Amino acid sequence: MGNKIVVPFGSQHIALPEPVSFLFDTKNEIITNVKVDVGYVHRGIEKAAITKFEFTNVSYLLTRICGFCSITHAGGYHHGIEKLLDVEAPKRAEYIRLIITELDRIHSHLLANAHVAEVAGYENLFMQGVKDREIVMDLLENITGNRIQYDIYTIGGVRRDISKETAEYIKKQLLKLKDKVLKVYDFYDTDYTFGLKTKGISYISLDDAKKYNVVGPIARASGLATDARAEFDYLPYDEVGFEIQTRTEGDVWARNIVRQMEVIHSIDLILRAIDNLPEGDIKVKYKGRPKGETFVRVEAPRGECFYYLKGNGTKVLERVRVRVPTYSNIPILKELFVGEKYSDAQPIVLSFDPCMSCTAR
Amino acid sequence: MVKMFIESFKNLFSKPETVKYPFEPFPEPEGFRGTILYNEELCIFCDKCENVCPPGAILFEIVDIETNKREYNYNPYLCIYCGACVDVCPKADEGCLTQANTRTKPLGEEVVKDKKLGYLMNRITNPKEVEKAWSELEIRAKESREKYAEYKKQQRMKKRAQAQTKKENS
Ligand code: SF4
Ligand code: SF4
Repeated sequence: MGNKIVVPFGSQHIALPEPVSFLFDTKNEIITNVKVDVGYVHRGIEKAAITKFEFTNVSYLLTRICGFCSITHAGGYHHGIEKLLDVEAPKRAEYIRLIITELDRIHSHLLANAHVAEVAGYENLFMQGVKDREIVMDLLENITGNRIQYDIYTIGGVRRDISKETAEYIKKQLLKLKDKVLKVYDFYDTDYTFGLKTKGISYISLDDAKKYNVVGPIARASGLATDARAEFDYLPYDEVGFEIQTRTEGDVWARNIVRQMEVIHSIDLILRAIDNLPEGDIKVKYKGRPKGETFVRVEAPRGECFYYLKGNGTKVLERVRVRVPTYSNIPILKELFVGEKYSDAQPIVLSFDPCMSCTAR
Repeated sequence: MVKMFIESFKNLFSKPETVKYPFEPFPEPEGFRGTILYNEELCIFCDKCENVCPPGAILFEIVDIETNKREYNYNPYLCIYCGACVDVCPKADEGCLTQANTRTKPLGEEVVKDKKLGYLMNRITNPKEVEKAWSELEIRAKESREKYAEYKKQQRMKKRAQAQTKKENS
């Protein structure tokens, strides 16, 4: 056996899209111990939300926690505050919210998969993934007016409507995207070399997934059927026929496959939602100020996101607490590294699709 | 193998996916959330836009305390382009505060100039000074509010005193 060597991975690393630091103790390339630090991008958002902003525009702050899940944070906050204020958004608004949320999931998953492909050595596949993702980004820009920060939620509805022409455009583009995504799915599924690099790596058993409370596509890749979209009634997912996508392999490969399956399923959900878009208002008026406490669970692209809100009848909330999916997945991530090769550390981290700006806030 | 070659050959001659921005134009779609434009003639100085703006990118400075004359200032480099100000403006329909569907030019060699961008941006020429000028304005605007409040208070006291003396005289 060789000597123990400490290898740092992050906070700045060529294969890491996010600032997180791992310190690996290695022996002959095998990782024996790991230290994680997730607090590199702490911005004090929860504190700012209860001191500087009124409840009406605190969502502009919360959506800027993260670029990928901006709609998740908007959803978490607005569904909570609507409970406190006792308002219900009209059906059409709910459907528009659903469409944007799923579009957001598609672009997040496509990029996550592309990243895994890149660190597995498929640079071209990465470009392919990002190219396809651009279709979704254009759609989002068309509907909401911005590529990343949609700001479409407002208390009691949505801020923008989807016109008939836009609906047609979305449908056309999504069908085009579906073809491309299916092609890439086929590749992930059947390619021999990609399988060698990803199959059996960082295996999580169903029991472990339950024990460590894993969430999101990582849990679903291990066969744990957990999805806030099915368990928690916050958007009309039942009406558009949502189904949980799971695999049982539990490795890096299965996570990619689950994400790709979810992309395809999300495209179907959006198409159905657009076909059944109800007529009517997109906004209702609300009265009063938030009082009492509540919690919301919404499904972010990376798993379950938890929101706790407490109001005291004034304009400024008393407490805003966010627990994001990546945070729940850190304990198992630490466990997984031990015993693996250092060269596999990158696909493991990226298959978790970590989002540090959410975690540190 | 053959399939691969056909694919590569096709890719050699297909159009590139990327746009050569900034050498080529890259038009924004309809309804893009861009620069906030202001029209002073229609404004009723209700201050709603200033109060709602999350990063504080709109500031009214009271330049003449006696007549309560206010100047609108906007910092497009601080703005997060959320459009909340346009939503609350009571005169937005008439075109007092609107959101253009084009981007603000980046702060490069020169500061963008447009009468609709408010006073401060038109007074600065050096792009390096924008940040400093804005933080000075933030302090000035706050002081001008305090001074105005003070002035109002004194006015009220004066009036009350006048009323008192009138009562006593009669
Ligand atoms: S768009 Fe948003 S950030 Fe910009 S000035 Fe209006 S309210 Fe402020
Ligand atoms: S909200 Fe509109 S009318 Fe009111 S001060 Fe701002 S620009 Fe003027």
